[in-house]
Order: sequence, then C-alpha cells, then structure tokens
Amino acid sequence: MQEGFIDYQKVLNNEEHAIKSTQSVIQKAVDWFRSKSMFVLAYGTGCGAIEMPPTFTSRYDIERLGVVGVATPRQADILIVSGYCSYKTLKRVIRSYEQMNEPKFIIALGSCTINGGMYWDSYNTIKRLEDYIPVDMFVNGCMPRPEALIEGFVKLQDNIKNAKKEAGYIKYRENNEFYKANQKKIFGDNIEPSYEANFEGMNR
Amino acid sequence: MIESLKQQYNIEQKESRLFKLIIKKEEFLKTLSFISSSSNFITLSQIACADWIEDEIFKLNYILTTKERDKNLMIELEIPREESKLPTLLNFFPQAEVMERDLHEMYGIEFIGNPTLYDFALENWKEIPPMRREFDTLAYVNEHFDFRKGREDNRDVKVEIKRRRAEAKRLKNANK
Repeated sequence: MQEGFIDYQKVLNNEEHAIKSTQSVIQKAVDWFRSKSMFVLAYGTGCGAIEMPPTFTSRYDIERLGVVGVATPRQADILIVSGYCSYKTLKRVIRSYEQMNEPKFIIALGSCTINGGMYWDSYNTIKRLEDYIPVDMFVNGCMPRPEALIEGFVKLQDNIKNAKKEAGYIKYRENNEFYKANQKKIFGDNIEPSYEANFEGMNR
Repeated sequence: MIESLKQQYNIEQKESRLFKLIIKKEEFLKTLSFISSSSNFITLSQIACADWIEDEIFKLNYILTTKERDKNLMIELEIPREESKLPTLLNFFPQAEVMERDLHEMYGIEFIGNPTLYDFALENWKEIPPMRREFDTLAYVNEHFDFRKGREDNRDVKVEIKRRRAEAKRLKNANK
C-alpha cells in the first residue's frame, strides 16, 4: 500500500468490527448489501457542500465504496447536511428527509451542525441539528476535508453492516413527538413549508 | 461626465475612481433621477446602510457605477430611525428591487412604491429587524436555542495560549 493512503475496505473488514449483535443471517446479508450501496441526495445546505464535489469526482472517487449521488429524495438513502443550517434551510431539509424512503440516514458535516460552530450567536442558524432530525454520523471540522467525509461514510457503513447503532429513521419514527415539538419551537405553526410563491405585484 | 455633474453638485473626490456626494433626504429623488437620466452612472451596484443608534439616524450609501465601470459615485443621505421611509428607486434603477427588499427585512426601512417588500431570507420573522442595533442577538439566541455542554476536560483556550506565549518568551530570553 502506498504511503499516505488508507485502505478503507481493510478498515471495514477489520476483525475488531466483527458482528456482535444478534442479527439473523438474512438480516446480516441485507445489511451488508445495504452498506455497499448508498445513494446520496445531491443537496448542499452550507459551505460544506464545496467539499462534496471532490469527494464524488475523480480525486477521491467515493463511488469505489458504493456511494453514488442521486437527484431526488425519493431515490436517496443518505442526506448530507453539509454545514450551517438556517431556519429557512432546515425547513427544506426536514421536508426532503421526510420524503426519503426508509432506510435513510443522515450525515452531519462540519462544526455548525454540532454546536453552531462560528454561527453560535447567530439569530438565524440552528445550534444542534439532532434536536430537529436524527443524525446517524457527525463529521466534525471547519471544514472537514474529503478524507474526513470518506471516513464518516466508512464508519456509517460499518454501523449499518453490523447493526451497531439504532438507525436514525427508527428514532424519528418512534420519538416523532419530540422532534416535531422541537421543530414547532422554532417554526411556530408554519412547519409545513408552503411552496406557493407570492408573485403578486411582480408582473410589471 | 463627472465634470458636468460637478458643476451641478458639490461632489468630493475620495480616490482616483471614487466620488462622493452628500445630499439631504428631501432632494433624494430629484438628484437620483437627474443623475440616472443625464449622466453615464447607469448601474446601482449597492445600497449600504449603517445604523447610528446614538444619533438616531440610518446612513444610507447609494453606490452608482458608470457604464464603462471606471468610476463609482457614492451618494450619502441620512434618514431618521423612527419612521424610516424613502421613495423607491425602481423607476430609475430596476436592480434596486432586491436591495430595497433586503434593507426592509434587515433594518425595517420602508420603501414607498416597492411592491416586493415581503419575506426574503427570513421566513415568518416576528421580532424587530435583526440588523437594527437595539436587537439583542445573544438574548435571542439564549432564549431560542439550547447550547451543547462542552467536554468535561475542556480547557480555557486563552489561558493555554498565554501559557505557551510566556513559555516561548522565556525560551527566547534564555537563548540570548
């Protein structure tokens, strides 16, 4: 192996990550297949979106791990919340997340999704993303390099494959009142985004 | 072209390419319409606003650019913070629409005649406009968000930096 490169598949197949949970054989197989084909919604919320093109294109080429970008939430498995999330963006994030089919996972990229980052005193930016939607994997840094994002993907693959953690979508289903109450706290009664654009008076 | 304007108005040259004109609120529309129609300052590139809460005024800077992009003209005027109203510039500079909408949202300035003064970047904002200086950002954040607790073993960064600097200084003096 060339110096400076990490063999991610070797990390993934490491013996310390051997299956310890009580999955059935079929479930094991399904989870293995699932971890090898992750469809990522092509959606960027903040400045972190700039790290995603090199991750997906020839420089880092994450497609070798089975991670592919798709265009619509209906086809996607993974939503990357890349960077700070304002009120207005969060509404769209929630809307996209709720449209995705299960199983679905969220990767939160950057410090801003963890504790607000450099926007800790901003009137318009949320501080902790996992209050509003369940996050499966945090990647910290400001900004995280594509290597960090790839490591996040590999860890998430590991979690999925070995059923190590309870998946976020199950949490969202079971504790839906908690998430909806938090969303209501900042949106008021306008949780559902209205997509009717008001073009009144603009027909000049 | 700037020479002909200089005959009309008291224009001050700030830099080689930057000119400044201070006007009163009453002659705002008249001046802007004259400049837009009879000079080559045809682009409104920016409207800048500063909140001078001590003097109870907003200072607005309309920055115009020539067709050749070689000269900028700043037109400065003051408006009172209370009842901050101005006529819109849509008739002379159509690109003012978004800038005025932004200023209305962030400072609460009302542009009479602009039909697009509804929500822009902030949705359902019910507080006072956030860029006004009486808006207490920190109080708002503390009220609306929970902060994550730091790690138990976290250290004060400033103390650590001070310690390292003192250490470096001590080493430097010792080497001398």
